[in-house]
Amino acid sequence: MNKWILALSMLLLCMSSWLAYAKEYKLILKDHLFYPAEITVPANKKLRLVIENQDDTPEEFDSFDLNREKVLYPGRTSVIYIGPLSPGRYDFFGEFSPNTARGTVVATEVNDADN
Amino acid sequence: MRFLIISLSCLLLASVSQVAQADGMVVDKVYHPYVMPFEREVEWRLVSRQTDNGNVLAQRGGFGGAINDTMSLEGYLVGERDDNGDFGLSSYELELRWQLVEQGRLWADWGALFELEKQHNIDAYEATTGFLWEKEFGRTSLTMNAFLVYEWGADIANEWESEFRLQYRYRYRSAFQPSIEIYAGEDFFGVGPGFIGLHRFSPKRQLKWEAGFISELSQSGKDHSFRLALEFEF
Repeated sequence: MNKWILALSMLLLCMSSWLAYAKEYKLILKDHLFYPAEITVPANKKLRLVIENQDDTPEEFDSFDLNREKVLYPGRTSVIYIGPLSPGRYDFFGEFSPNTARGTVVATEVNDADN
Repeated sequence: MRFLIISLSCLLLASVSQVAQADGMVVDKVYHPYVMPFEREVEWRLVSRQTDNGNVLAQRGGFGGAINDTMSLEGYLVGERDDNGDFGLSSYELELRWQLVEQGRLWADWGALFELEKQHNIDAYEATTGFLWEKEFGRTSLTMNAFLVYEWGADIANEWESEFRLQYRYRYRSAFQPSIEIYAGEDFFGVGPGFIGLHRFSPKRQLKWEAGFISELSQSGKDHSFRLALEFEF
């Protein structure tokens, strides 16, 4: 039994190294606010959120909806890979400034998304 | 470098199927392949295993945190109840987790785990290495761990062993994410339900909990394990 499970694991591990294409969307964190606070993206695609933290303190991008946590170092640009997303709204926030640093990713069918 | 690690891990996994499977407490924790910089945590885990021969209880307390962007180091003190019913210190453990790829960048996410354990008061050591793997499917996540274990020392027989763990969870709410878990080791194949959850007290303080009830299926006798883990991150 274990041999079959491990053989399956090995196959999955080798598949894991496939690099998926991801379209890029840029955000800025400034004065503990995300700009833009809402972005529209195509559903069912891999995406890259490129976030430039212009504040002089670190922030932690956090989203249960997107299943992502990532430290945004001050003065640096960070990349967060998300998706493929089903159509819908996905909230995110800055863990260190949860009352101000908030935003939403809106996944829509391709024709409606910002391109 | 990462391709080399992945290739080595594949070779490692191929060798795993050739060695004995791990004995002892197979039910423990399914590790996720992610490390958060700045993270520090204290952890407590309990496993209670009920068989026809009685109850085996193991508890561990740990403290650790991230040492850089992709690695975390944690030390544990492990206690077990002995044959006389006395609970006491049984071993010490040092554990290194390594996040190998950015979450979501590849088709699935990868990490590695290295662990060294010394039994208390006897000459017995255990080194564990293996991979941590996770893949998202919509609102569900599949996590798998495969470990290769080597035991040595004057007071035990030197041997290679293997372990496999799997958790498939539905990310229903942050406080409650139900799961199915599978654990495989020497003479052990267990399946059962579990859940994990999280509560945030303040921006840098949160409590994570995990629990599971695993039934052994490959033997005819009674063998049920209850596991509980609490992690306070700050």
